[in-house]
Amino acid sequence: MDLQFMTSLGLIIASFALYIGIAIYNRAKQTSDFYVASRGVPPVWNGMAIAGDWMSAASFIGMAGTVMILGYDGLAYIMGWTGGYLLLTFLLAPQLRKYGRYTVPEFIGDRFDSHTARLIAAIGTMIISFVYIIGQLSGAGVVLGRLFEIPSAVGTIIGVVIITIYATFGGMKGITWTQVAQYLVLIVAYLIPVIFMSLQITSNPLPWMSYGEVVSKMGEIDRDLGISEFFAPFASSDKTQFIALMFCLMAGTAALPHVIVRFYTVSTMKAARWSGAWALLFICLLYLSAPAYAAFSRFILLTQVAGRPFTDLPAWTESWIDTGRLKLADLNNDGILQWNEIQISNDIVVMATPEIAELGVFVIGLVAAGAMAAALSTAGGLLIAISSSFAHDIYYRLLNPQASERKRLLVARISIAVATVVAGIVALDPPGVITQIVAWAFSLAAATFFPVLFLGVWWKRCNAQGAIAGMISGMLVSGSYIIAARYFDFSLFGIIDTGAGLFGAPVCLLVTYVVSKMTPPPAQRLQEEVMDLRYPEQMTFKDGEVWMDEPSK
Amino acid sequence: MKKIDKAVADAYFNKRVRNIVVYLTLWFIVSFGVVMFAQPLSNFTVNGMPFHYFMGAQGSLIVFIILLFVNAIQSDKIDKEFGIDEDENERLSSGKSIDH
Repeated sequence: MDLQFMTSLGLIIASFALYIGIAIYNRAKQTSDFYVASRGVPPVWNGMAIAGDWMSAASFIGMAGTVMILGYDGLAYIMGWTGGYLLLTFLLAPQLRKYGRYTVPEFIGDRFDSHTARLIAAIGTMIISFVYIIGQLSGAGVVLGRLFEIPSAVGTIIGVVIITIYATFGGMKGITWTQVAQYLVLIVAYLIPVIFMSLQITSNPLPWMSYGEVVSKMGEIDRDLGISEFFAPFASSDKTQFIALMFCLMAGTAALPHVIVRFYTVSTMKAARWSGAWALLFICLLYLSAPAYAAFSRFILLTQVAGRPFTDLPAWTESWIDTGRLKLADLNNDGILQWNEIQISNDIVVMATPEIAELGVFVIGLVAAGAMAAALSTAGGLLIAISSSFAHDIYYRLLNPQASERKRLLVARISIAVATVVAGIVALDPPGVITQIVAWAFSLAAATFFPVLFLGVWWKRCNAQGAIAGMISGMLVSGSYIIAARYFDFSLFGIIDTGAGLFGAPVCLLVTYVVSKMTPPPAQRLQEEVMDLRYPEQMTFKDGEVWMDEPSK
Repeated sequence: MKKIDKAVADAYFNKRVRNIVVYLTLWFIVSFGVVMFAQPLSNFTVNGMPFHYFMGAQGSLIVFIILLFVNAIQSDKIDKEFGIDEDENERLSSGKSIDH
């Protein structure tokens, strides 16, 4: 029970109390205006909520580490995860907002007027969210494992218990403002250490301006060590893999069921466009800082840790070796730690760096609280996507349309608990590092949903048969490529498992198009609904004519 | 409800689509375009980093943010040009979103 442990735990508990407090406060207030269906969350705040929901353990814990270890090749994650917001905001969000359904399966089921399509979309949502949540639980495991100085697997079990309780009781209502708070906690926790490191290394408080010189300095050190330069393009993966990964993350971002849901809480198509813009601005505060984080921590490791004798290593190394994510081995038995003798997992870089840079107990504790906020807010959004797919789209709409409100809520809670526990068991021995697991979820979303949502919104001739065939083929192609590449060393054009969506998405698009063309067109009513999405709310498309609502005042 | 000329409604849609095509072209150039030519572009330096690294870490992100805000502002302008009233939009869309 040292000071560090108490500080970290105290900050985590305090931030949790804040989230639960906000959830309770909002619930009480909402009962009165429960039936005013339009929420009308202002775009700036909704942007923050989207950012909190969106930035997961992969962004917070994993990304800087990935850039540090992969160098330039890690930037595919940075560009992919931000560039996707353009596809989402330009091509899907406003139209989906006007259509006015609550979940992705609900949109697909109603747009194509097909319960089969609804069922497949619900199953797809559950699979994607489930894969994604494994990454979150594995992230919570890293944080809690370090906190209690126990193996990450045990930390994961604690995380599963916390997240199950949190999501089943707290996460069902009033989640928007909780996510705003979680965004603020995580962004402050991310920026403080990177600003301090910038001051320490370059005496400039603005890391975004200063880390460029550190990057170029590292290029020199790398050349001296005889390893490939940090910023050298495509040193650790092929160019095709870089492009494939970036594509999957972008298309996946636009089609992630739990993110699309957040665009329904704004009032209009216009508000959806502004929400997307604000969301990316808030997200980029972190994404612009991650490469700085990566550069600074690699620089400190290169210059201050490598080269030391094994008998004189800083204290932080020991606690990270205990979690099983850091390995230091004297390969050439000279008693000195060399750069190539450090094996550091992507997932611990952000958590370990404040300790490496000796930033003090408060900052280290804050980072732990921020990481938990990131894992928790995304896990909350994902669990709601899973439970609404099952309880609303499958159980209520398909299996038991007479189910009472209470029974549906019970089914939703049970599905949350089951999903968390099963994902927790998988996360005990995660099948990859956090960013990699999360990238699979994006590849699957890119291949299952993006082409179908895109065609469903923009092409009135797209029909149920096409959508069903497209979703199934996209999911199968991506899923089998991931498995073949991960476990059987299969690869095409140098593309590995994380880039699987580059094959799945075009297959899905083509199959949807061809099958739609070969089968009868959708009903006139459905085609008119799609035409209607071209125009703002005030214009209505009916019987081949466009009508405009006059303001009532 | 007042019927409006189909040509007017089509003009609205075409204007929006034309803008989106321009934005997505720029999006493609700063992300995929720069990656495809990463090696030749690494020869000059911006903000202390080789250009390809700068674009991946900072440049493309900034362009993305600008494009999203430009889209929001331009779309508002087009709405105004066609006499769309946001208050009326809000009134019409309320009841179509589900609380959660």
